[in-house]
Parts: sequence; structure tokens; C-alpha cells
Amino acid sequence: MKLKASLGCLRSAILAGLSAACLAGCEVFNGPLSTFIIRSDFARDSYRLFRYTFIWDCIILLTVLVPMVLALFWLTPRTGPQEQEHVEGTSWLEAAWTITPALILISMAIPTIRLTFQNQPPTPPPGALRVRVIGHQWWWEFQYPEYHLTTPDELHIPAGRTVYFDLESADVIHGFWAPQLGGKRDAIPGHVNHIVLTPEKPGEYYGECTQYCGLSHANMRFRVYVDTPENFAAWVKQQQSAPATAAGNDPKVEAGAAVFAAAPCVTCHTIEGVSKGYIGPNLSHIGSHQTLAGSILSNTPENMAKWIRNPEEVKPGAQMPALGLDPVQIDYLVAYLESLK
Amino acid sequence: MAVAVPKEVVKARENYLTEGGLLSWLVTVDHKRIGVMYGLTSLAFMGLAGFEALAMRIQLAQPNNHFLSADLYNQFFTMHGTTMIFLVIMPLGLGFFGNIAMPLQIGARDVAFPRLNALSYWIFLFGALFMYSSFLFGGLPDAGWFGYANLTERFFTPGSREDFWAIGLLILGISSILGALNFFVTIVNMRAPGMTFMRMPIFVWNILVASVLVLVAFPPLTVGLVFLVMDRFLGTHFYSTVAGATPILWQHLFWLFGHPEVYILALPAFGIISEVIPCFSRKPLFGYAAMAYATALIGFISYGVWGHHMFATGMGPIADAAFALSTMAIAIPTGIKVYSWVATLWRGNFVWTTSFLYALAFVVQFTLGGLTGVMHAQPPIDLQQTGSYFIVAHFHYVLGGGSLFAFLAGLYYWWPKMTGRMMNEKLGRINFWLTCIGFNMTFFPMHFLGLGGMPRRIYTYGAGLHWDFWNMFCTIGAFVMATGILFLLIAMVESLTRGPEAPADPWDGRTLEWSIPSPPPVYNFAEIPHVHSKDAFWEMKYGNNPGHKVPEVAAEHEAGHVPHIHVPAPSMFPILLAAGLALCGIGAVAWLRITLVGLLIVYLAIVGIGFEYPTYGEHPSKERGDDIYPLDSRKVGMWTFIGSESLFFASLIGTYMAYKGRDLIGPTAKEILEIPLTSFSTFVLLMSSLLMVLALAGFERGDIKAGRNWLFATAGLGCIFLGGQAYEFNKFYHEGVTLQHNLFGQTFYTLVGFHGLHVLLGVIWLLTLAFASFKDMVPKKRALAVEFGGLYWHFVDIVWIVIFSLVYLMDKVTGA
Ligand code: HEM
Ligand SMILES: [Cu+2]
Ligand SMILES: [Cu+2]
Repeated sequence: MKLKASLGCLRSAILAGLSAACLAGCEVFNGPLSTFIIRSDFARDSYRLFRYTFIWDCIILLTVLVPMVLALFWLTPRTGPQEQEHVEGTSWLEAAWTITPALILISMAIPTIRLTFQNQPPTPPPGALRVRVIGHQWWWEFQYPEYHLTTPDELHIPAGRTVYFDLESADVIHGFWAPQLGGKRDAIPGHVNHIVLTPEKPGEYYGECTQYCGLSHANMRFRVYVDTPENFAAWVKQQQSAPATAAGNDPKVEAGAAVFAAAPCVTCHTIEGVSKGYIGPNLSHIGSHQTLAGSILSNTPENMAKWIRNPEEVKPGAQMPALGLDPVQIDYLVAYLESLK
Repeated sequence: MAVAVPKEVVKARENYLTEGGLLSWLVTVDHKRIGVMYGLTSLAFMGLAGFEALAMRIQLAQPNNHFLSADLYNQFFTMHGTTMIFLVIMPLGLGFFGNIAMPLQIGARDVAFPRLNALSYWIFLFGALFMYSSFLFGGLPDAGWFGYANLTERFFTPGSREDFWAIGLLILGISSILGALNFFVTIVNMRAPGMTFMRMPIFVWNILVASVLVLVAFPPLTVGLVFLVMDRFLGTHFYSTVAGATPILWQHLFWLFGHPEVYILALPAFGIISEVIPCFSRKPLFGYAAMAYATALIGFISYGVWGHHMFATGMGPIADAAFALSTMAIAIPTGIKVYSWVATLWRGNFVWTTSFLYALAFVVQFTLGGLTGVMHAQPPIDLQQTGSYFIVAHFHYVLGGGSLFAFLAGLYYWWPKMTGRMMNEKLGRINFWLTCIGFNMTFFPMHFLGLGGMPRRIYTYGAGLHWDFWNMFCTIGAFVMATGILFLLIAMVESLTRGPEAPADPWDGRTLEWSIPSPPPVYNFAEIPHVHSKDAFWEMKYGNNPGHKVPEVAAEHEAGHVPHIHVPAPSMFPILLAAGLALCGIGAVAWLRITLVGLLIVYLAIVGIGFEYPTYGEHPSKERGDDIYPLDSRKVGMWTFIGSESLFFASLIGTYMAYKGRDLIGPTAKEILEIPLTSFSTFVLLMSSLLMVLALAGFERGDIKAGRNWLFATAGLGCIFLGGQAYEFNKFYHEGVTLQHNLFGQTFYTLVGFHGLHVLLGVIWLLTLAFASFKDMVPKKRALAVEFGGLYWHFVDIVWIVIFSLVYLMDKVTGA
């Protein structure tokens, strides 16, 4: 009785555990970086080919496993000596397992080659939006030659319009990958690579660097915002206008602007109308960003202050030095930067 | 009728393990001892790499974890990968199993060049220690096991970490090349009489092809590393964009090595599995011939697939498609192997040993790794997978679940032969199940993580990416696996201390190593066996009559009756030479004068090896037992060496050609090279080859004096050639073309300079011979020593003709 109950208990516990594990396990495919969430034509091409190959892989695996299991546990009487078989090769079998895989491989090779060419058009498709992507240790810079815009770490593109990326690097090799929008390509110094894709659905997408690029390779992430065409146009307009600071009405912001202008910030950062540094990210509209520092922090005043106080602590090896500002100065500075919408 | 071989050969009173004291291991040249040393060293490094892996897994168990710093994590994954590839799997496959099993399987008393074998081991050990010693000087290397340029340039990776990595790999490469050359010659030339290629045990086939791959694959790596070292030490720009070069060059050179390397790691494993499965299924290997051809084919194709590591670098659709096709093609011979193993199992009569279990797990896990490999072969899929944990899962399935599992199968299989003790099967079971379950727990979920977008080589990740569950799971799995490996150690110690004594043939084996005592006597075979079929020992035991045991025949060489057999004498020069080489490396990172001392030691040790045996250089003698072999091993060895050297020059020339015309500033070849002067020195060098022929003729006639004089004359012409080169370099230098000036400068000086270095070595070689002849050390019967010097000299001349035509003449002709 008691045993039965506890057994029942155990069973339900195991079942609950298993289903929880299953749920937790499958969650991995629902993450913001999952390759199974398809949001562009490029990603769809990859996924379809993956699915096709995956099915064949399963079948091939079975053709190995089933005979193995049969041979090991079913065919052989496991007692008594077995006659030494002198079959050392059967030509029809050997022909079969040479030719069949070859045919399967050919059936994979045809779409592979078609897509390989299709995904790498020799020239940008007409009407495509061109975006220059420049990898830096350890952040991303996005330039829109068409709109004369530069923005760090957060890329905005309109849904439904083909985007033609030009990938470059300012230092070492990086890899540009936003899984839901499609495959990666490396950003290589002295070499321009391309990705062509058409985003399908507005939303926020995650991206990351996929080529080991030194100490903070793990901290080189980015976001892609696919906007509706209207929102995109509005975003462009906002970015093109000079940063709207509230300097006039907020003394804290005003003081922050003064700190920025006097501190070494200006040697590396651009704020339109204020400074022209180009080593670090353009901060003209940093207040409108969702994330900071290679998209590893969400953009809150605390995080901003933390970063400015000691970048090294947030991102090991960060190329921005700690500037030795006092907490009050940092407070002003944060207020100023957050006001740059 | 087969040679009568006793089923249970009486234990030799002195076996290879017991003879001599502990110090004798330092000077040993016995392939079995060298194999044991390789095995122990690799095992120790596996512990180290495993420790690094566990630390990484703890760090990754949770998002935003702080167990390891970014810096330490990067050092650990770099050294974990480098160690597992270069210090564990490769030396286990070739150095350990190759030495332990291969010579016994072909019925040889040792490898072709026993001292070279010891040398390979010592260079391997010192190279490995050298690389890890960077730990004491500011940290371990941290640019990844494939060390992508331009991150490895000094500007991006200052300090000496990466110097240790690059120079360490150069040293290890020498060890690999020498070891492979040795095995290649051994297998080609020293098989027992009657053992044709198609009667060779399949393991030997795999070692043969893997050795060829090492000889072919390491020269491009060496060249790539030389460029890296030059960039870091001499300020050249082979991999940086400053002078118009591209970091992609490194990727081509590295993967031109790297993919064949994957098969260097896998082929010995295939070989072991092809021995273990038939043995414990009590059936011959299915499709022996197809297996042998598949092995060779895999080796061949593996040289044309390197681009599949570079689909994300933007090679363009044509190259992408070509590499996709060649990579998919390699799946076919691999499939043949897998299906042949399965067919071998079909209706087998199984003996469920631990070794067999490991072999079965290998087949499944390797197949899984192979199937994901087919996905990476297709660029559209690969672009979603490369650089992610999917790749980490893939290569751990082929290398860990594949090669490592096969090596564990092999370890259990040959352990009784090697140590003379049986392993405890119970401990073996625990070891197997924990390792197997732990392995799959660790690495199977990495497929999910990769598809879920987790990049590899990240020391941390944010929360909310849905990766937490499986990462924790993987970490737990890693500890299960580590516990399993712990049981391997326990089982080994238990066997050595308490294990029952092993009979000569515990598994009722099929190949020759089981025909001799366990552990084998120093000389292996009292009598070199004659082979009449494949599975030679099986045939000796059972004849051609399946299931019918031939009545046992009493041993002719019963206890006490030990025949007088010549075995190679121990030598102290290998360890000395390797130490000298390590000093060269230390000098490069510390104080250049140490390098000079190292070079001196290397030179003296080489001379020592050359003249150590009074009979060296004589034609094979009956007394040494070499006369039963069809060729002179030393000649085969020399030609093999020259073949590998040509590939070294091919890589240098390839780089020169690839960078030609990419210069940002002049002057380049067209403007600066002078044909008349170089034509003259070319003529001088060609004449020297002629004199070399005369010198050799002199020694062969026994006219030492004439021979010596011609040698001096040859070396003299060599010096004139070098003088011409020095003059030319000096002139260019003053015209502003320094090593760092432009691409032309660096590729030209490197190519021509390396050739010059070879001429210099040749001159030293010839002078050494000439001076030795004063002491009567090069008598007529040792003219072979001069012949080798001559071969080398002619080779260097031929290389010069190629360089002269490609670098000097072509531009003048086509560019006019
Ligand atoms: C206990 C067993 C093992 C564990 C837990 C383990 C774990 C790991 C981890 C965590 C990484 C780093 C992945 C990354 O950050 O990208 C890694 C990389 C690697 N592992 Fe293992 N590993 C194990 C065994 C092996 C074996 C047997 C091999 C066989 C050769 C191997 C070869 C490699 C290589 C080549 C790398 C890549 C290093 C690099 O990216 O430069 N590992 N492993
Ligand atoms: Cu990066
Ligand atoms: Cu490969």
C-alpha cells in the first residue's frame, strides 16, 4: 500500500521532472538567437536545406543503428561458438552503400549549389538598402551611406526591403551573425564581404560576433530592429536631425554637456555639433538606444554610470579607459548622455 | 602450410619493460618503450586539457558567471584545443598506438630508424613543455587553437604568449614529420616476408595513410608558422593589411594543414576499430579491400576540402560550391567504412569486452559526428552553424566520441600485450558507461545550444537567451565523464599492481602481435614470421579450415633458448638533440644567444648520430637482419624527406606567387632583380652538382683523397653562390627594399633566404663529411653517407632552378 503510493509518487515525480526537462530543453529553440525562428528569406533558405539534410541524416543513422542493434541483440545466439564466416565482402552490398549515399548527396548538392550562388549575387540587387558594417574590438558600427548616418551596436532596417551589407573590420576578424535573419559572414580587415537578405517581420533581433576576436569576443553583441517602413523613415529622420538635448531646461544636463566637452571623451566620440572623435562609437543619439557597450547592458542611467566609471569592469580589455571622473561628474554626464535622443 | 607458431609462447624471461634501470628509458630506442612514453605523456596532457575543460564548463554552467576571468577562459580554451589536438590525440594515434602495435603487426623487430623514433618522442615532449612553460611568463597562449591572423600579430596580442604557441607548434611539427617519415619507411619496407600491401593488417594501412598525410600536411603549417614568427619578431606583414597582405593567407595555410590533420587524428582510430570489431565479433573484417581503398581515398580527398572551414570568409560562390562538393564526396568512403564495420558485426559471435563496448560506441558517435559534418559541407547551412556550439558538438563527436573512444578501445585491446597484465573488466565497465554517458550528456546538448544561437569561444553569455538549462546539463555531463576517466586510471593502476598475468594471445587475435609473449621480448620476434595471407596469425593458428584448430606445435624457442638477435643499441643523442632544439626555442623568446648554444648542440648531436655506429652507412648486413627487406630503408627515408621538403618550398613559392602584384609600393621584382648576376650564381650552383657527382664517385671507388677534394670544391662553389646572394641582398637593402619594406621584399627574402639557408646547411653537411674523412670515418663501405649528402645537395639545386625560373626569369619574360 505504502510502497504503491510512494511508487506512484515517484512515477509522477519522474514524469513531472521529464516533462519539465522537455519544456526547459525545447526552450532553447525559442530564444532570441534561435536559428529555428525564421525572419528573412536568407534564414529560410538555410533552414529548408537544413531540414532536408536533417531528414536524410536521420534515415542514414537508422541504416547504421538498426542493423547494428539487430546484429548485436537479435541475430546472434549469444551462446555457443559460431562458425567462422568467410564472407569477406559482398559486392552487391558494397555497391549499394557506395551508390546510394552518392545519390543522396547529389540530391543535397543541387539545392546547395543553387542557394550558394543565389545568396551571393555579384552585384547589389536594385533598390537594396546598403549598410556598411564595421567590426571593432569589441563593438559594431553601422553606417548608412544613403542617409549619411552612423550608429553603434543597434541596427535599424525596414521590413520588406532588401538589405545589402558591406562587412569590414577596423582591426581583427569578426563575424556578423543575427541568426533569425540568416547566416553569418566574417568582417575581415582589408576585404569587403557581403550579406544580402530581406527581413520579413518587424521586431527586435539579437546578434553577436562569431569569430574569436580577442579578450572580449563574448561581449561583442548587437541588436537589429526591423521597423515598419513608416517607423524606419521616422527613425532615419530623427537620427539625421541634430541630437535633441534638453540642455536649456535641465541644469544637470547642462553641466553634463560641459563635463563631456572638457573631458577626454571628445577625442574618441562624435556627438553631432559637439565633437568629432572617430575611435569610439558615435554617441549622437545614445539616449534613444536600448542597449550599451556592445549590447551587453540595457541602457539605464545606472548601467551608463557603471560603464563610464570603469569600462574594464564591464567589458574586459575595453579600449575605452577609465577617466577618473568623480561621481558627481559622472552623474551629470549620464544625465546629458541619456538626454541625447 | 603455415609456420608452426606456439599458441602460448612461453614468457620471455627478460621483456622490454624490465630490461635495464629507469635511466635506460632516457636513452632507449626500443619502439615499445617509446610508445609507452608517448602514451604516458599524452595521458598526462589529457589530464591537463581535461582540467581546463572542466574549468570552462563550470564557468559556462550559468549565465554571467565569474568562475574564470575572460582572460583565463581564453587561455584555457586555446590550450585545451591545442593540447587535445597536438599533445593528446595525435601523439596517441601515431606515437603511442603506432609504436606499440604497428611494428609488431608487420612482424618487425623495430621501426626503420629507432634513434629517429626516440628523437621524435623527445622533441614532442620538450616542445609540449616549452609551449606550456609560457604559463610561467605571463600566461598561456590565448588566440585559439587555430590562431587566426591577424589577431595573432604582435599589435593585437602583445607579450610572449603567442610566441610560445607558434614556436612550440614549430617544434612539435618537426617531431610529427620525423615520426611520420619513420613509420612510412617502416611500413613500406619492413613488412614481414610475404606480407603484401593487401595482406597488411588494416590498422597498418591507416597508419601508413596517416603518416603520408602528416608528411604532406605539415609543410604548409610550418610555412604559416614561420610567417607568423617573422611577423611577430621581424616586423614583416605577411598577415596584416598594412602592406597589402591579407590575414586570409593564414587561414588557407592553416586549413590546408588542418583538414588533413583531422584525418591524421581519425585514421589511426579507424584502424583500431577495424581490428577490435573483427576480433570480438570473431569474424574477419568485412570488405578488407574496400576498407583499404577507402582509407587511401579519404587521405587523398582530405587535401582538397580545406575551404569548408572558410565558408564565412567570403571566398565567393564558385569556391564555396567546389569545396562543398569535395567535402560531400569524402562522406562516401567514410560511409563505406561505417557500413563495413556494421557488416562485420552482422551475425558475429560477440565477446563483450570493454574494448568492444568502446568500439561500438565509437561507431555510433562517429557516425553522428559525420552526419553533422555533411551539414557543414553545405554553405547555406554552415553559415548558420559555423562558429557556434553546433560545431563544438560536431568536432567533439568526431574527435572525442570518435578518436578518443577508439583509442580507449585500443588501450583495453593492447594493454595485455603492452604490460603483460589483464585489465579488470568490472572496472572497465564502470569506466566505459560513465565515460560514454557523460560524453553524450556533455556534447549532445551542444547541438541544441548551437542551433539556439550560442557562439563558441565565449567566456560568458547573458541571461534570458534560453541557454541556461542545457549549459548546466552539459557541465554536469562533463563531471560524469571526468569521473569515468578517473576510473580508467583506477583500472590501469589496479591492473599493474594486482592484475592477472596476460597470456600471449588473450583475445584469440588475428594479427602477428599476438604470436609473441606479453609483454614482448626486446627483440619482438625470435624469428621473423613468414606471412601467407591476411589475418596472418589466425591463419597460422587455424589454417584455412574454419573452426578447426590446428594441433598445437611445441615452441622451438622454448624458455632459455633465446636466439642471439641484434637489437639497436641505446643512444643518448636523441634526447640531447631534442634538448638543443628546445634551447633554440627558449632562446627565441628569451635571449638569442641561447639559440646559438641550442644550434651547436643540435649540430653536434646530429654528427653524433651520424657516426655513432661504426657500421652506419654500410649496406644492410645480414647480421642486422636488414637483408630480408627489399629496399634500403635509409634511401627510402631520404627520398621521403626530400618529398616533404619540396612541399615546404611549394608553400613558400605559392605565397610568393599569391602576393605578387599586391604591393602597395615598389620596387618589386620587375624593377629590381638582376638576371646576369643571378644567372652566374645559378651556373655556379649547377656546376657544384657536377662536382658532387665526382666526389661521390671518389668515395665509392675508395679514393678518399679525391673524394674529399671534390667535396671541398663543391662546398666552395656553394659558398660562392651564398656570397652572390649576400651581395644581392645587401644591394637591395641599400636600395630601400628591406624585409619590412613591401610584400615583394618580405616574400622574396623569405623564399630566397630559406633556400640560401638550405644551401648553407648543405655546405655544413659536406664539410662535415670532408673533415670526417680525414679521420678515416668515411671509408669506401660507407660511401652511402656521401650519397645522402649529395642527394640533398642536388635537391637544393633543383629547388633553385624552380625559384630562378619563377622569381627571376618569368617576370622578365612575361613582364617585358
Ligand atoms: C571532458 C571532456 C571534454 C570537455 C568537457 C570539453 C569541453 C570543451 C569546451 C568547453 C570547449 C570550449 C568551447 C568554446 O568556448 O568554444 C572545448 C573546445 C575544444 N575541444 Fe574539448 N572538451 C572535452 C574533450 C575534448 C577532446 C577529447 C578533444 C579531442 C581532440 C577536444 C577538442 C577540443 C577542441 C579542438 C576545442 C576547440 C578549441 C578552440 O576553440 O580553440 N575536447 N572543449
Ligand atoms: Cu568580434
Ligand atoms: Cu575540415
